[in-house]
Amino acid sequence: MVEAFAVASGKGGTGKTTSTLALGMALAEEYDVTVVDADMGMANLLFHADLADVETTLHDVLVEGGVPVEAAVYRRHGMRVVPCGTSLGDFAAADPTRLREVVATLAADTDVILLDSAATLSSRAAVLPIVLADRVVVVLEPTIPALSDGLKVQEYASSYDTGTAGILFNKVRDGDAIDRIAPKAERYFEGSTLASVPASDAVRAARRAGQPLLAYAPESTAAAAYRQAASALSVRDRDSGAVADRFRSAVVPESP
Amino acid sequence: MKLPDGRLLRSRVVSDPRTVLVDALDRRVTGYAVLEPQGSLLLDDDGRGVLTFADGVPVVAYHTGSERGGPPALADLAASGPYRLDLYAVRSGALDAVHDHEVFRIPPGMAAERLVGDQSLADRTRKVAPGDRTVERARDEESGGERSVGAVEAFLDDERKIEAIREQAREEAQERAREWGFDEVS
Repeated sequence: MVEAFAVASGKGGTGKTTSTLALGMALAEEYDVTVVDADMGMANLLFHADLADVETTLHDVLVEGGVPVEAAVYRRHGMRVVPCGTSLGDFAAADPTRLREVVATLAADTDVILLDSAATLSSRAAVLPIVLADRVVVVLEPTIPALSDGLKVQEYASSYDTGTAGILFNKVRDGDAIDRIAPKAERYFEGSTLASVPASDAVRAARRAGQPLLAYAPESTAAAAYRQAASALSVRDRDSGAVADRFRSAVVPESP
Repeated sequence: MKLPDGRLLRSRVVSDPRTVLVDALDRRVTGYAVLEPQGSLLLDDDGRGVLTFADGVPVVAYHTGSERGGPPALADLAASGPYRLDLYAVRSGALDAVHDHEVFRIPPGMAAERLVGDQSLADRTRKVAPGDRTVERARDEESGGERSVGAVEAFLDDERKIEAIREQAREEAQERAREWGFDEVS
């Protein structure tokens, strides 16, 4: 079985990478999880996951004649993690459309693929993870621009037959009246609210320590909220081979 | 709402209302900004948004199309950029009558926090806000934060606007799918 989720928001600063790794670690208690940093232009997952020093990254896989994806897969915190490099030169040389083959290869041997997506919808490389995923998890903050951009992500996703698995409110503060905001937001999203993650010093401290939140502060309220989100996420049981074929057959033209 | 004449400080097209908030705060403007959405999402939504400032801190929000004031006016302004922006300075006290409209007032950091989603700008604005405005903010929070989240709730209550945002995103996604060659992806 395998299902690929894009963790997306359309807007920067909502905590997508923190959310991707936290959901990944929580899901890893039940599933075989692979996390891919698919934010190829602004990669940062490696700094969150003890991977800042690794040599081989997704960029090396995506270049012409690149290494097989297995060379960029690292075991961390009970998951398989595929980090992306931060060099803009490497990004320019990489062909994002090869991500399709990467996801297809990974799909053969995992239960859940989480694609940490770009904070924009303005380029083909940024939208590709949403195209490839089965469903998106939309990361929101209780602000008008975050909700507006989240709605745009959902519309882009459904244009490519990618569903919405749920919404995740992040950086929620006491005065945000999330109990009123979330139900109102849910009316416009296909999926329900997976969790409301409180704004937390533990998240910032984990980031500074270069560790995923669930490894650094597993007892924090934010970590508990992510575990709740993971348990609310029903992973569909689908045949790996069929899913891999679907990724491979996705019609994406070569770069001009 | 009747606005006093002012001295035009700036007139240009901006993509995001954040620009005007930063500008007014940095220059400690006492005056008002008129934001007129260009290429509006809703064909019949031809109103303009007005934000007043006292020493750079937002005081009143009003929308001429919906005729709503306060937090709901921020929601009316949302997500309909780019905007034609005119920023005016007025003499001290010229906006007192406007600022007396209690229901039009917004908490100091609300436009930055909710309309623009910029927490650090909101914090910076609150620091600049005079003591009595800080008290106003504290009262809002004590009363369950009702006013501080009002703009987000008003935005989510506006089904027409949300549908317009979705419709525009759908069209944009389909157009780009063709442009990027994603149209045959399934």
